[in-house]
Amino acid sequence: MTDIKTWARVKSPWVLHFNSGACNGCDIEIVALLTPKYDVERFGVKLEPSPRHADVLLVTGCVTQQCAERLKSIYDQMPQPKFVVAIGACACSGGVFEGNYNVVGGVDKVIPVTAYIPGCPPRPEAMLDGVVKLLNALNPPKAKKQPKPAKEPEVAKPEVVVAHAAQPVVEEVKPIAKQ
Amino acid sequence: MIDFTLIFRILVFPGFTFILLLTLFCDWMERKIEARLQNRVGPMVAGPGGILQPLADFIKLLTKEDITPREAKKTVFKFAPLVAFTIMVFAFCFIPVDGASVLSVNGFSGDLIVILAFATIANFLLFLAGWASCNPYGTIGSARVLTQFLGYDIPLFLIALTPAFIAGSLSIATIASSQVIPFILLAPWAFVLFIITMQAELEKDPFDVPHAESELVGGLETEYTGAKLAFLHLTRDVQVVFGSALVVELFLGGPYGPVFFGASWFWYTLWFVLKLLVVVTITEYITCVFARFRIDQVLSGNWRILLPAALLSLMLTVALVTWVYPLVV
Amino acid sequence: MPNSNIDMISLIKSKFGDKVQIQLGKLGAATITVNNGLHRDVLQSMIEADEKTGITAITGLDLGANIGVYYHVHTSNVFVTIKAEVPKENPKIQTIVDLHPGAAFHELEVADLLGVVFEGHPTLGHFVLSENWPQGVYPLRKDVKASEVKLVPTPPSEEIKLPENERLVKIIIGPQHPALLEPEKFAVTVDGEIVTKVEPRIGYVHRGIEKATESRTYLQDVYLVERICGICNSIHACGFVEAVEKILKTEVPPRAKYLRVVALELNRLHSHLLTLGHAGLEIGYETLFQYFWRDREPIMDLIELTSGNRVYSSLMTIGGVRRDIKETDVPKIKATLKDLRGKLPFYRQIYENEPTLRLRMKNVGVLKREDALKLSVVGPVARGSGVDIDVRKDEPYEAYGEIPFKEIVYTTGDTWARMNVRMDEVEESINIIEYAVDHLPSGPFRIDTPRSVPAGEAVNRVEAPRGELFYYVKSNGTDMPDRVKVRTPTFANIPSFLKTAIGESIADVPANFVSLDPCFSCTDR
Repeated sequence: MTDIKTWARVKSPWVLHFNSGACNGCDIEIVALLTPKYDVERFGVKLEPSPRHADVLLVTGCVTQQCAERLKSIYDQMPQPKFVVAIGACACSGGVFEGNYNVVGGVDKVIPVTAYIPGCPPRPEAMLDGVVKLLNALNPPKAKKQPKPAKEPEVAKPEVVVAHAAQPVVEEVKPIAKQ
Repeated sequence: MIDFTLIFRILVFPGFTFILLLTLFCDWMERKIEARLQNRVGPMVAGPGGILQPLADFIKLLTKEDITPREAKKTVFKFAPLVAFTIMVFAFCFIPVDGASVLSVNGFSGDLIVILAFATIANFLLFLAGWASCNPYGTIGSARVLTQFLGYDIPLFLIALTPAFIAGSLSIATIASSQVIPFILLAPWAFVLFIITMQAELEKDPFDVPHAESELVGGLETEYTGAKLAFLHLTRDVQVVFGSALVVELFLGGPYGPVFFGASWFWYTLWFVLKLLVVVTITEYITCVFARFRIDQVLSGNWRILLPAALLSLMLTVALVTWVYPLVV
Repeated sequence: MPNSNIDMISLIKSKFGDKVQIQLGKLGAATITVNNGLHRDVLQSMIEADEKTGITAITGLDLGANIGVYYHVHTSNVFVTIKAEVPKENPKIQTIVDLHPGAAFHELEVADLLGVVFEGHPTLGHFVLSENWPQGVYPLRKDVKASEVKLVPTPPSEEIKLPENERLVKIIIGPQHPALLEPEKFAVTVDGEIVTKVEPRIGYVHRGIEKATESRTYLQDVYLVERICGICNSIHACGFVEAVEKILKTEVPPRAKYLRVVALELNRLHSHLLTLGHAGLEIGYETLFQYFWRDREPIMDLIELTSGNRVYSSLMTIGGVRRDIKETDVPKIKATLKDLRGKLPFYRQIYENEPTLRLRMKNVGVLKREDALKLSVVGPVARGSGVDIDVRKDEPYEAYGEIPFKEIVYTTGDTWARMNVRMDEVEESINIIEYAVDHLPSGPFRIDTPRSVPAGEAVNRVEAPRGELFYYVKSNGTDMPDRVKVRTPTFANIPSFLKTAIGESIADVPANFVSLDPCFSCTDR
């Protein structure tokens, strides 16, 4: 039963994209993922309009003061189990905007992050790789470890602002940030 | 005494399980056709050729957390999707798949009207579902569903009467079995009108204003999560299959076709499914090549063009049935 | 078109005499320093003399004891700056919104970031800054340190005030909404399906880049301003770099000019294709979206080929470009462009003949020429309304003076016209790139420049894909700029949306809005 559950979750990740103050660079690359050259629908990925339908929240950009509240409420609206992927250098750490007067910092200052995909912006392939690696992390290794997928929901229940998820699945994917 | 055949027919074939599998298959087909028309490949990794994708989506939604918003009207919000799904499946049971419908061999006179009414009720339940979520987008989305299906139901009923007139019966089984020449050849205009109306009734492009993401986020589904969302999606998909099946029964000669080596139920099912897939392909093609109308354009299109056309079609049919067809058939 | 070739500067000289000081050749054609409310009279006489007079930007800057308020004004043939100063203790200046409605957003921004009070212009709360930003702290003043700002606790999330009339419904579009790829909020009041009011709230992507430039070196700033916008990044870098070069009085080698043009036009190509596709998504025409984005990918590959990166080309640098185009790459570029040119007739035919598309775009969001002039809109929005402004033609920069190309103008002013302007510009961009790679001059592509920039100031205007982009740079003799002001095209174009949306169906809002090609990361900075 757990196997089927995990299989379904891995094969059908519906994503919601939230821009928390990004420069559009990562955002257009996410949209490019949907288009013929990359076509993430192959993997069952669907871009959903409502946070209620989503499994994975893709956050791009450093978190600005004005977006922080909103980002948290969108995260809270998502049903369990849910995952957050920080896309781009800014979402991972604040990037070039770290320390500016209107910037809170990386996404993990506001909500727990499951996977980080650095790059400015990461290539679409890198994003794809990141999401797939995240989902494969759900698949317990051959020995049946039941708690792994069931554990994620616990991780994702922040009452207060946390700096890091309890067990972030950090995937370093081809950092090609430029400067 | 328990009639095992009947239980088998209701639960497995051509009843619930068959309908469910057919629906999931058609959903996969739709996504695949859409993807191919858009130069993409579509679902690939879930099962061979991604054929299990709709199943994966369905199971995943069932296992998600089920949230009921504080403001929502709880009872309606919880039950409307499931009831709508049940009604659609029940309506489908009247459609002859393997030469007979689920419940009886020849149905009864007037079951065409009954299943159209069921479809309307299911639509109304979807409207209630959106309304009960008490979300601005959900409310507007469901209001659009209501205005649209109220408008388009009238021409749909009128055009559905065309084949009934030609066959001289209001029973679907009779209409299907009396098509020695498929009615698409006798009344091609009615077929075209029916496809257009069906497209509007199923809220597919260019009539998908209730689902306009750029205006209404998720439309009436905005607040739904988990199992309830799964059943909303499934209801939509059953509606698509049901609509296409109706086209098959009314215009394409139903499940009837050449039968080889006896086993008629097998061949009838095969013909039925093949014809159904042709209709699904046609509607999906229309979906892909048009932009979405605006809600006022959708409504005025109905009252100004489709309704008069449906009436004309009906009059033409009556005239032809009276004076011309007796000479041909 | 009255008096389009009038000599504006001598007109002002004759009209105001000694009351204003005119410095020729600074910050545009001339800098007019005015004091004590005369800025209104100068502007009024300019508007009366030339209907194309508009406000490009209002720069506010901290000058120590005073706050400078610089009005950058464009007319049909000159670009001038009207300088005014107000004391820091009592920063009050008369508004110009009544003379020129297009200045409204500029004044709001200066008020929010520098605390200038524009008398006669009601400013309600924060416009760019977040709600929890303390009152009375203005981030662009020099004495404000980012680390010392104490945020006030967020007020309870804004309640949606119900409109008095029960027929009216307020729909909030954003900050997270599928029609907007970026977070920004528009409160749309609808009566049934008809829009009666649109209230924007920007600043969700405000990252304080203008302030951040002041604490980084010029070279770092090139990469920082590039990150104002991920779509039109080259043009941002180009605008900044050119302004600095103007202060340095550096002449860029001719090959660099051509290489810059290639980079800028590739950028325009991908941006226009992106928007043409995105418009399809907004009107529920997903197939069109997929097709356009499919054909955009080869252009992304070209950007990668010429610069080494898909999105951020990082090609511009002070004194030239960082990378040359290899001789062997030219055939590849030409082949890709030829492919794209071959596909254009198909798309043009869709835009011309597809009935559902025409239904959704024709006569939607009509912006009349008078309104376009009054609101100082720029770029394809202005050109779709019959206003022939294009910086590449009006004030050629880089190699645009030497390259032949057409200026695209449509007159109907609706969404359809704006999208068709872009469609035709795609073809022009292909022509420009082909001409540029054919006529690449030989020689170096970069010259060395000093790290410190002598004290001075410069304005620079370039044509971004979304319209005129404006940069003001003030240096103070160190290796970091004193003030960088960016006025982005979307910032100038949003007022036109607020005007055209009213009276139309709510269903037309997305199509109308996307026809501006909005870019909020530009708008907020």
